[in-house]
Amino acid sequence: MKFDLSILAKHVPFLLEGAWLTFQTCLLAVLGSLILGTLVAAARTSASPQLNRLSAVYVDIFRNIPFIVQLFFFYFGLPEIGIYIDAFTTGVIAMSIAGGAFTSDVIRSGILAIDPGIIEAAQVSGLKKSTIFRKIVMPIALRASVRPLGSVFINLILTSSILSTITLNELTGSAKIVASQTFRPFEVYFVLLVAYAALTWFVSILIGMLHRYLNRNQAEGAV
Amino acid sequence: MISIAGLRKSFGAAIVLNGIDLEIRQGEVVSVLGSSGSGKSTLIRCINGLEKIDAGKITVDNFDVSKPRELSEARKRSGTVFQLFNLYPHMTAVQNVALAPVEVLKVPRKQAEAEARELLRSVGLSERADAYPAQLSGGQRQRVGICRALAMKPSYLLLDEVTSALDPEMTAEVLSILANLAKGGTTMVFVTHEIEFARSISTRIAFLDKGQMIADLPTKEFFSDKGMALPRVAQFLSKMRKD
Repeated sequence: MKFDLSILAKHVPFLLEGAWLTFQTCLLAVLGSLILGTLVAAARTSASPQLNRLSAVYVDIFRNIPFIVQLFFFYFGLPEIGIYIDAFTTGVIAMSIAGGAFTSDVIRSGILAIDPGIIEAAQVSGLKKSTIFRKIVMPIALRASVRPLGSVFINLILTSSILSTITLNELTGSAKIVASQTFRPFEVYFVLLVAYAALTWFVSILIGMLHRYLNRNQAEGAV
Repeated sequence: MISIAGLRKSFGAAIVLNGIDLEIRQGEVVSVLGSSGSGKSTLIRCINGLEKIDAGKITVDNFDVSKPRELSEARKRSGTVFQLFNLYPHMTAVQNVALAPVEVLKVPRKQAEAEARELLRSVGLSERADAYPAQLSGGQRQRVGICRALAMKPSYLLLDEVTSALDPEMTAEVLSILANLAKGGTTMVFVTHEIEFARSISTRIAFLDKGQMIADLPTKEFFSDKGMALPRVAQFLSKMRKD
């Protein structure tokens, strides 16, 4: 067999469309899991036992079920009880919920790592709980969590390839179609491999930059 | 006035404060002395509501700290400086100082930051006002901590072993600022191991031993025959002076 990438040339626009869809779902899912993860982390570290338990149950459920099963349940299961959601929305929601479970765990450990004395200083100065969470707890926890959050988000990007199983022609879905049209799976999946590697490599570089930027003033003795 | 009556506090089986009565009036500087584990820090943490008290009553200007609604009023009236500074690591010195005035007293940000700079200048930190805590020395951090407490214009300053984490040179930096505050009439509750300094700035000395206040005397009397007549005080003072 001859390795020939040129046969893919005319399929590039189609593949790029898929890549664009991947980008959109991932961006929305990252935002969704960040918001959900923050709320759940707040609930898990709150003083309310009910919120604690509820959020722990959520994390345990969604971390312990294969993503593809969750996805099938949302996309093929829910219509049986009259809930129809299109593939794109289902994908974003499922990824946000699953990602939110992991994200909340990372943020929670970031919160628990904060020196309690810092929170006490905020309390005695009369700041409201919500202000302490917004202005003190979250900024400190996020700074510490940037790298592990990056791993979660990279995992989420890779997980997005599973969305091809619910008819969403994102990058992997488009590649599957091109492979079956051209009968050149080697070239097609080679390109796919490189594309995902490049995408996640790019994201991990961004994460590294963000981490350095957020922690730029935390080095001892630097001016 | 800070008024403490019949205060009891235990952690599990350990009774840390066992019936404390103490009153601190405006303009007084009360130093709380006692060996480690005598309950000094816990006393401060009860006054600012960081610990729930088991029995007794603490009021700050008649606001009861054990009632959640009154605690916030009580906290507005007192400022706390901590042993380990507890600065907000993601904020500059100015931001550390200006945060509570902006959020709690609703002072416009620009004005709060200008006042923060003025406070930092008064403790010799105008050059370091935009530095982050990690970029400051221990003594500088504690001076920021003092400014943060003062920014709320508290009626009472609660100082919890504020020099214990500092070397002698940095301790001197911080103590000179406290001496100025005392001279300026700031009311202080000063938990400390710096006996000589306590002697020089305090109007009164309270001595804690095993959760009980065994002496509450004007400074002069504490360091005279009257204080030395209490065996535990005499033992403590002679030991501390040797160290």
